Amino acid sequence: MKKIIFVIAFIVFFSFLVVSAVNMRPFGNPTFSEMDDYFIKNAQSETGANNVVTSIVFDYRGFDTLGEATVLFTTIVGIVALFRRITK
Amino acid sequence: MNSFVELIHITILIITIFAGLLAVIFKKLLPAVIAASAVSLLLSLEFYLLHAPDVAIAEAAIGAGLTMAIFIFAIRGTK
Amino acid sequence: MREMSKIIRNVTNLVYGFIIIFGFYIIVHGHLTPGGGFQGGAVVASAFAAMLISYGQLNTKKFLNINIFSLLESCGLTMFIGVAFLGLGTTFFYNFLANSGSWFGNIVIPGINAGDMNTAGVLPLMNIAVGLEVFSGLGIIVLLMADGAEYTKKKEKAENDR
Repeated sequence: MKKIIFVIAFIVFFSFLVVSAVNMRPFGNPTFSEMDDYFIKNAQSETGANNVVTSIVFDYRGFDTLGEATVLFTTIVGIVALFRRITK
Repeated sequence: MNSFVELIHITILIITIFAGLLAVIFKKLLPAVIAASAVSLLLSLEFYLLHAPDVAIAEAAIGAGLTMAIFIFAIRGTK
Repeated sequence: MREMSKIIRNVTNLVYGFIIIFGFYIIVHGHLTPGGGFQGGAVVASAFAAMLISYGQLNTKKFLNINIFSLLESCGLTMFIGVAFLGLGTTFFYNFLANSGSWFGNIVIPGINAGDMNTAGVLPLMNIAVGLEVFSGLGIIVLLMADGAEYTKKKEKAENDR
């Protein structure tokens, strides 16, 4: 019984993956590209960085990076609090 | 040229699946952990071939380096 | 945790300095080459993990201190938020140093160029801040995990002896 459920779940997920892989667009053709074109055209002159990825991560989308840094900080505070009895 | 790159992609993905299978099959713990980190390393090579070097560096450092270190600590702690 | 074999120790002796230098290179050149604060910090922390695996946690703790790492991590997050607040004259996270001619303010020629370290405004400062936070944070995680493994082993041994 268990094996039949496993086989059915496997077939369902596998067919989902195959269908989405068949329907995939070719590499390098996004659907909406206005924002990408703006970044590629103006990022170098506006922020002065050659690396467009860094200028997006730290300048245009700075709040995302702030959230990421806060998540990492909270994780480490939690781990230090969890192991406080060992390191003493 | 294009078909050559596609051949490299297919080869790397097949080796990745094979290494993931090895990570499940191995009975000893240390070879299984090394196979799991090989999956991560090959995945970072695939990211690099897909023109995402930032993600490739992060994947190679965290997936192949730090995760394997923590798994090895766990294995040493239980032995 | 005991040391690993002599081969692993020798390879770590040869390689760990270069890994740390490469990580700091990725952090500092974050606005010119692929990578940035998070990636470079992860590379530096992987060098710490290699040291910890090959030498054992008792030997590594002589020159890696958790308290200093904790201080560096708090400094990194505070520096990040502080640099973000400095641009508050216009908006939060405003790049007030770019193209201004002062620190990190050289003007970039658009298009493909060789790259100049003295550009990009506050991006290098934020890269350094995030890199400081990430390498010390992941170092704390690795050190504490090694401690925890040692503690569990000792406790199980004491229970077995009883």
